[in-house]
Amino acid sequence: MATKDIVLPDIGEGVTEGEVVKWLVKPGDMVKEDQPVVEIMTDKATVEVPSPFTGSVKEFRCKEGDIVPIGKPLMVIELGSDSKTAAPLTAAPRAPAPAPSPTQVMVAPNIMAAASSGGLEVYPPVAESSVLATPATRRLAREMKIDVNKLTGTGNGGRVTREDVLKSLNATFSAPAAVSKGITAPAYVTSGKGAEERVPFRGIRRKIAESLQMAKHIIPHFTLMDEANVTQLVEMRTQLKPLADKQGIKITYLPFVIKALIATIREYPMFSASIDDQSSEIVYKKYFNIGFAADTPNGLLVPVIKDADKKTIYQISREIVELATKARDGKLALEDMRGATITITNIGSVGGTYATPIINHPEVAILGMYKITDKPVIIGSDWHPAKFMNFTITADHRLIDGAVAANFLKAFLNRIENPSLLMLDMM
Amino acid sequence: MNPKFDLCVIGAGPGGYVCAIRAAQHGLKTVIIEREHYGGVCLNVGCIPSKAMISASHFFHRAKYDAAAMGMKIKDIELDMATLQKWKQGVSDRMAGGVELLLKGNKVTAIKGEASFTNATEISVKSSTGIQTISAKHFVIATGSRPIEIPGFNFDEKTVMSSTGALALIELPKTLVVIGGGYIGLEISTYLAKLGTKVTVVEATSNLLSGLIEKDGVAVVSRKLTKLGVEVLLNAKAKSYKKEKSDVEVTLEENGKERKIQAEKILVTVGRIPNSDQLNLKGIGLQLDERGFIKVNPQRKTNLHNIFAVGDIAGQPMLAHKASFEGVLVADVISGENRVFDVKTVPAIIFTDPEIAMVGMTEEECKARGHNELKVGKFPFAANGKAVSLMETDGFVKIIADAKTEIVLGILIVGPEASNLISEAALALEMGATLEDIALTIHPHPTLGETMMEASEAALGHAIHIIQKPLTSTSRPGVTA
Repeated sequence: MATKDIVLPDIGEGVTEGEVVKWLVKPGDMVKEDQPVVEIMTDKATVEVPSPFTGSVKEFRCKEGDIVPIGKPLMVIELGSDSKTAAPLTAAPRAPAPAPSPTQVMVAPNIMAAASSGGLEVYPPVAESSVLATPATRRLAREMKIDVNKLTGTGNGGRVTREDVLKSLNATFSAPAAVSKGITAPAYVTSGKGAEERVPFRGIRRKIAESLQMAKHIIPHFTLMDEANVTQLVEMRTQLKPLADKQGIKITYLPFVIKALIATIREYPMFSASIDDQSSEIVYKKYFNIGFAADTPNGLLVPVIKDADKKTIYQISREIVELATKARDGKLALEDMRGATITITNIGSVGGTYATPIINHPEVAILGMYKITDKPVIIGSDWHPAKFMNFTITADHRLIDGAVAANFLKAFLNRIENPSLLMLDMM
Repeated sequence: MNPKFDLCVIGAGPGGYVCAIRAAQHGLKTVIIEREHYGGVCLNVGCIPSKAMISASHFFHRAKYDAAAMGMKIKDIELDMATLQKWKQGVSDRMAGGVELLLKGNKVTAIKGEASFTNATEISVKSSTGIQTISAKHFVIATGSRPIEIPGFNFDEKTVMSSTGALALIELPKTLVVIGGGYIGLEISTYLAKLGTKVTVVEATSNLLSGLIEKDGVAVVSRKLTKLGVEVLLNAKAKSYKKEKSDVEVTLEENGKERKIQAEKILVTVGRIPNSDQLNLKGIGLQLDERGFIKVNPQRKTNLHNIFAVGDIAGQPMLAHKASFEGVLVADVISGENRVFDVKTVPAIIFTDPEIAMVGMTEEECKARGHNELKVGKFPFAANGKAVSLMETDGFVKIIADAKTEIVLGILIVGPEASNLISEAALALEMGATLEDIALTIHPHPTLGETMMEASEAALGHAIHIIQKPLTSTSRPGVTA
């Protein structure tokens, strides 16, 4: 009986390989067309790969933990006899076909393999009618795999020029090759006599490790800490909470922090810039995609709120809940975690007064927010109760000087302490 | 014999043959299957022969009526319909022959026959020499559309004609009822009226040209139709017809009342439907939409990943130049380029008298898309020297731009050579041109093209060759023709 390989399909933009995390079937199992057979992890997202065929699992061609390039076989399927995909492999010379009827229709399996692995969507997406770019520029962007809808045009009336496209390619950062191959880490040698358990170091955990290590290698970090009197902010949120509840929206402090952060970045654009080490250029971004760290059973994930400057507090609140839920359920798509211009971590809401977070490369700063505490303040000669919250700004010292970070934090805290100022920044 | 091709194109119309040639240029081993004529409807029973008839009728009509004013006394001008028909056929044959030569010159295998899918990688082709099987890695379906028939008016191409029959007339009918006042109906009505037929157009809706063209544009064409002696009945439905000696009697319901019209022949032009009921498309699981168009993505890929569709069968607008653009695009995609259909506009042209051509949006569409404030400039051909010297002064150029950015959103041309003028407008839209970009481009004098520059100036409030009110910042500087 005919056999067919299930290969690792092209999962999407730019992904060239994936790690086999978990088999969802075992040899001998019957699988149906489109039934998920294996979990593959790419970058930060885990996807389930469906079988393009109906049949039984004959053997695996790799094992859990293996890194498999796209197009390489994952397992062998012995095709089922009733499968509509079974026949055409033996396309022996045949007599001229009579008038075809639906029953004799067959779809070549290699085609269906491609079909079931991706829909009909195209990447980059089609330019929207509002995008001002000439046909040749649109084509150039497509060939360079750049989404022209996301580019900020520097030309007349926001026109995306050829140069804008070419420059944005340089902004597709990659860490210097030397960094990843630095010091060889020594093997672990056991020293204790107690019980130890060995668990494979892979999946999302390994990806987190790799990216954090790279960030620490590349970026000279420094962190500045300060506290803010958030009494007004707390009052404001308390007022708004029942209104939001009525709309079914859970409103937290994060959306306000996002708004204050964006307003402050407008004054200090280098905080959402990136350094392109390959071309020795600083890339200033004219869009505001805010990442927020989400703790999940699988580890730390950073979903991104895209174009947060153009969204209302309500919209941001709703999106936070959606993205956080997706993160916890392991449903985040790669696209949900890409393109952040700066990240906020509020791990401090669990505990700890201050932390020194690691910057999410190629970003150049990360804002930390911590738990709210009650403290007294002196107004005149009287003690008054007040709410305080600690903030940190961690920056890439290559681009941002200490004094600049101090001014940035001051401007940011001014907005947090006087949330009515946010009205002035509204667009 | 079962040769394996890289690409098999089905249908050699303006979508298919263009696709095959581009694929061959990319080095793909390409075969094209055509069941009737190379060049498809466009070259044989559509665009090209109708343009030949239109240009001939225009010439005839001008010689008969306009020449005298220019001092030419032409006596007894007479139409020999059979010779005209032969000349028209010559035009079509020459163009179609060119297609065949181009296919051959690019080493595309061309097969005449009727194709049908056996499965997603194989078709059978029935031809005069028997049935053969052709397998290919990729297929492009470019089998186009056909005229819609309406109940009670089955095409016999003698008494009840589709556009195909009308183009092949070897005797000029004295009277003709045209059912459907869309672009095909009006183009044929116009040229037959110019040659001497008494035409009655029966349109079921309250608008000519499907309401797609702005009212001020349609009005120009309506006036001219009346001048040519064409009677237009709106809100009128053709119910049935019966034969009476050499004539037919068509029963209509006009605004709720019954009416009978005598005519020699009937032309039905109520639209076209995609040929997606053929080729066993459903049998291989190809998805169609509710109107029968093949569902495609921006790369014109169908739900079966090795099968693409272009042209009329892949969706509106059903226009040859859209088909050709898609044909090239798909050939590029199959040979590995990342391309999508991302044009800003597909120009539309109607060869009435005067011609209508448009790109982009109408004023109404602009407003619906959130462009609340517009700058609209309109310039009449009556104020253009070239148009006056051509004795063709009906119509205008209208340019619509966003008031704030002054980026051009739509251009409508109704007038002489509108079809040849619209390409500049299309380029302007694709390039994201502003009113000033057009106004500050020197347009040579004396040409019809100057109207484009003047209309842009009019939108900016300071056209030279029409009187405009002093410019204020909020006034809409449009003027009426």
